[in-house]
Amino acid sequence: MIRCEHLTKVYNGVPAVDDLCLDIPEGEIFGLLGPNGAGKSTTILMVIGLIEPTSGACYIDGTEVATNPIEVKRKIGYMPEDVGFYATLTAEENLEYSAKLYGMDGATRRKRIPDLLSLVGLEGVTKVVGGYSKGMRQRLGIAKALINEPKAVILDEPTANLDPQGVADYRRIIRETAENGTTVLVSSHILSEVSKVCTSAGILSHGKLVASGRWEDLARAGGSGHVIIRVETKAPMPEFSHPSLISAEYADGHRAARLVAETDICDAVAEAAGPAGIRRLERDEPDLEDVFLSYYHEEATS
Amino acid sequence: MRSAGLKVIAGKEFRDHVRSRRFLCLLGIMLVIAAVGLVSGMVQYHKDVENYSRACAAISENEGATIPFFMKPSPLAAFYQMAFLLSSLGAATGIAMGFDLVTREKESRSLKILLSHPIYRDEVISGKALGGMAAIALAVFMLIAVSFAVLLLFGVVPNLDETIRILIFGALSFLMIVAFFALSLFFSTVTETSGSALVSTLIVFITLSSVAYLITSGAGVTVLVGDPPKMPGESYDYTVRTGPDSETGFCGVSDGGMDPEEFKQKLEEYEAAMTAYQGKRQAVTDVFALLSPDRNYEKLSFAVAEPGMALASRLDPGQEVPESGLSALSGLLGSLAGNIVALLVFPAAFFGLAWVRFVREDIR
Repeated sequence: MIRCEHLTKVYNGVPAVDDLCLDIPEGEIFGLLGPNGAGKSTTILMVIGLIEPTSGACYIDGTEVATNPIEVKRKIGYMPEDVGFYATLTAEENLEYSAKLYGMDGATRRKRIPDLLSLVGLEGVTKVVGGYSKGMRQRLGIAKALINEPKAVILDEPTANLDPQGVADYRRIIRETAENGTTVLVSSHILSEVSKVCTSAGILSHGKLVASGRWEDLARAGGSGHVIIRVETKAPMPEFSHPSLISAEYADGHRAARLVAETDICDAVAEAAGPAGIRRLERDEPDLEDVFLSYYHEEATS
Repeated sequence: MRSAGLKVIAGKEFRDHVRSRRFLCLLGIMLVIAAVGLVSGMVQYHKDVENYSRACAAISENEGATIPFFMKPSPLAAFYQMAFLLSSLGAATGIAMGFDLVTREKESRSLKILLSHPIYRDEVISGKALGGMAAIALAVFMLIAVSFAVLLLFGVVPNLDETIRILIFGALSFLMIVAFFALSLFFSTVTETSGSALVSTLIVFITLSSVAYLITSGAGVTVLVGDPPKMPGESYDYTVRTGPDSETGFCGVSDGGMDPEEFKQKLEEYEAAMTAYQGKRQAVTDVFALLSPDRNYEKLSFAVAEPGMALASRLDPGQEVPESGLSALSGLLGSLAGNIVALLVFPAAFFGLAWVRFVREDIR
């Protein structure tokens, strides 16, 4: 449904997106993960036809975006990260305007708009959008992204401003949308959020897609070879330094540490922490966050 | 195939304008100015008609005496007074309506959402321009309707010629306001914030209005075209007592001992050089005045609303007075074609620039 072929965007000689190849099948909820500045938003802007790629191409349902932007925009629903609406209009009026721009007739609009407002929990809200909280605007953004019953929904940081209830509603809406056959592309840097709703993911780092696939495949591939070591001492321990060390987090006044290393460095840790009086030293299995950090780390070191 | 975007966007922009306090406030001021200006103009008109009737009665008793054609009072004179007030208020209205049309979308982050719809970018900028122009047309229509109402209240029923002149005055007012609307819309597309757009528009407005005025005033033109030719012989100034408490200054010239034939020839050469110099000054003045929509508007309004005075000011001494009515008006407007073209080209140029800039804008 969403396909990118060698997609590249260069700003002032610096590639924001570099030779990105991606294929997201119909009905999939795909998470595009990456730290800030990884190229997620630039990728999305090219996918929805708001900016032209320097080279490569995007296809939505087989239609090339750059050469058929209007046709593509009819097929997609989009919510930007910094979602904005007309402050002097109500949610209903904003959606009405949006529906008219999609060429929807009056009868369809009258049915679709109340349904969507109810879906995102904004039914009965009569005040103008200027008086909305960021979370309410985000909810309205989701409604707007769904107004044209799109084949693909593209959401940029969709839960950034939502409260816990809003996040739960968002997950429910996205799952229901995908069950109806709609493809969903979610861009986020919040791993936990993506992992809870997406069926597969791609990891962007410095504009490059460093890994993609289903969660279990990513975890298996990313987790291989990395070792988590937890150590607790009676007195404050010194900061560790080792060529295999990827990251180190200290707590409790340097009396506890969580180390991620490329190889098993338990002996070196025991030797360094020994003078502080070791209370606990054990190897642990890497969690999802460690797996993804390892992808970023690999890309940065390469 | 075009989408429905243009119509939908223009409709929304029109509704936004006519609902906005800013527009309603300026429209209210414009209507009050129009009404007050016309009421005082009508009072003056009735006085002028009385005086004119008395003068006609007196002259009919003196065979051979005539009243100059341009002294005949016209109910349209009040419109010229209104044009002076409208030139600044209309500019303010145009600028207020356009300066944040695009920047507001950027500031409220609604531009990305808007452009994610299946519409062409040019439909967005053209829709915004059309919506604004429709609101301006509504404002001018109301202005002209109020003007007609005031005329009728004072018992003045405009004839066909006057009605056409009033409608042309309305069209000129529309073009002048649209010119400043286009200018501010352009700055709204090239700047990032509404504040910057407003400041940039005001700088250009002030430059066009005041700098053009300074350049076209006496000293400014002299700097550009140089000093006038020197008179032959000796010139001198003298005053003549013209009343118990008044004197009038004159400038005279003598041959200064020059051969009379030679002096006559030099004087003719001087007159020819002076005519050429005056023509050059006028050309420079006209060119700079063309850059300023409000000055073009005032000039054209004078031609439309003060038909007698406008004709008299353009006639050479001894030239035959042209017919009155529509043929006189078309002749007069024909001689001001440059101003009409300038009033059309100014908004078209800035709309064109805004269009190109917006269509090429990089959205991030």
